[in-house]
Amino acid sequence: MNIALQTHLLRSALAYLALCTAVIAATPPLPAEHLTVAEIGVTKPHWAYVYDEAFNNETDARVHVFDGDTFRRLGQIDAGYTPGINLSPDGKTTVVATTYFSRGSRGTRTDLVEFTDNNTLAVTHEIVLPAKRAQTLPSYFNVAYSADSHFLYVAYITPAASFGVLDPRRKTVLNEIDTAGCVLVIPSGPNRVSSLCESGRLLTVTLNPQGKEASRASSDPFFNADTDPVFVQGVPTAKGYAFLSFLGEVHEVDLSGLQPVFRPTWSLVSAAERGTWRPGGVQVAAIHRTQDRLFVPMHQGGEGSHKEGGTEIWVFDLKTHARLERWPLQAYKLAPVIAIQVSQDPAPVLFAATTAAELAVFDARTAQLKHVEQHLGQTPWFIFNH
Amino acid sequence: MRSLDNLFEHSARLLARQTSRRSLIARIGTILTGAALVPLLPIDRSSARAAESSAATQKNGPAPAGSDKLDSHQHTTPVKAATDDPLSCEYWKYCAVDGFLCSCCGGSSNTCPPGTVPSPITWIGTCHNPADNRDYIVSYNDCCGKTSCGHCECNRNEREKPMYRASRNNDLNWCMANADSNYHCSVSVILGVSE
Repeated sequence: MNIALQTHLLRSALAYLALCTAVIAATPPLPAEHLTVAEIGVTKPHWAYVYDEAFNNETDARVHVFDGDTFRRLGQIDAGYTPGINLSPDGKTTVVATTYFSRGSRGTRTDLVEFTDNNTLAVTHEIVLPAKRAQTLPSYFNVAYSADSHFLYVAYITPAASFGVLDPRRKTVLNEIDTAGCVLVIPSGPNRVSSLCESGRLLTVTLNPQGKEASRASSDPFFNADTDPVFVQGVPTAKGYAFLSFLGEVHEVDLSGLQPVFRPTWSLVSAAERGTWRPGGVQVAAIHRTQDRLFVPMHQGGEGSHKEGGTEIWVFDLKTHARLERWPLQAYKLAPVIAIQVSQDPAPVLFAATTAAELAVFDARTAQLKHVEQHLGQTPWFIFNH
Repeated sequence: MRSLDNLFEHSARLLARQTSRRSLIARIGTILTGAALVPLLPIDRSSARAAESSAATQKNGPAPAGSDKLDSHQHTTPVKAATDDPLSCEYWKYCAVDGFLCSCCGGSSNTCPPGTVPSPITWIGTCHNPADNRDYIVSYNDCCGKTSCGHCECNRNEREKPMYRASRNNDLNWCMANADSNYHCSVSVILGVSE
């Protein structure tokens, strides 16, 4: 390369550099930023409130709020130690019945219910409880509102069984009602609480306006705890709840009247499948209440396998009891499903939490897998929605 | 003094003659070789484990350190070799454990880890011991007062029932009645033979 050419290239490079510097100098600087706190806004049908037990460090449970449309985490609600969780009937509040220790992992035990505004995810207030709260796996029935939100019920186990009646507006505990060994708080109407009994019956306590017991009645047995117990994680139906048994029987209970009415029992499995294919996990089913669809994680296993996750999701018509579809989860490369939930809108999404802490989002009508959120927390065991 | 010097000199020479460097190395070699062969000998692991567990109980001290080799969701196909290993979820006594094995947390199958407090109330299971072909009633106490151990999660549920049959339920926190109800891990204590 001759000297003239080198000089030319050097001049060109310098000119280009000068041009770039001028352009950069002409670009206005980024404006100063202001630190703010996000508000997630009005709840949407495809939001999921995912209960994470944080089992490896249980004093640190939490609820992950996840958007099934954008597949983004919207925020977190702290939940203390082995909490009971639920949403208010209007969906605006998350209640967390939990336990704290005064020195973190030890010290004085305080049981309480915390109320979180679902539009801000900030705790608005709390009600301190007697140190009797049931510390157990999640269900809809550890803490639950009356239909009109006038009362809030909290299951107690010490291990004597009872429940607390709270007034969420006045932020007080009104009463404690003994349930004679029957457990959990299954709400119906404005003032009835049912509990599951070892005898296979439902104990139903009716409250007066002050939250005290007005009457109680026991139903006829509707399951047999020895031969085929029901999971306590009942699933809301249009008029009550459906309880699945270990062997796959479906017990639908209508709680819209003063006394429970049990519909004829039907089975998820054929005679040939009985005892080999079973429901299992923690949240063992989900129901779309207007489309009459029942979704159940099913697995192959024997006695004692009732906490194993489903390797398939079976879809049933709640009216005809026909099995409509089987979704083999291996085809989606998903771990076994231990919790399932479906949104209640006309274009529903189905959420499935797996043993690998994945949260899968399906189109509930087509079985199309829309998204898999990896590692949604540590141990996602239950999914609430509104 | 002279006689004392002679005595020490005689003793030192005698010791040197009987314990040459070569003989010392040879003896150490013999010991090392023997030690290396011990694991190859056909021994009864189950009795060794039982003795180990018993010793841990008698001393009220920790069992040998565990390992995190368990996967709580790999228990569905029991491995026969693991049924006599207290560090395995498949250990026969753990047939209704849902929690962390105290064996992996500084305790043993029947010893709470140091600094924890046993739960006075429990759930009960019946487990079959393949070694003697007997069914045993097992008490599943929780060890309480520290946050969850987080090692060797084990989730087996043979004959386990929902919480309306509380005495057969392992979902309840059985530390609930302790002054400090924080759950740490679970032990399995034989109460007797199931008739």
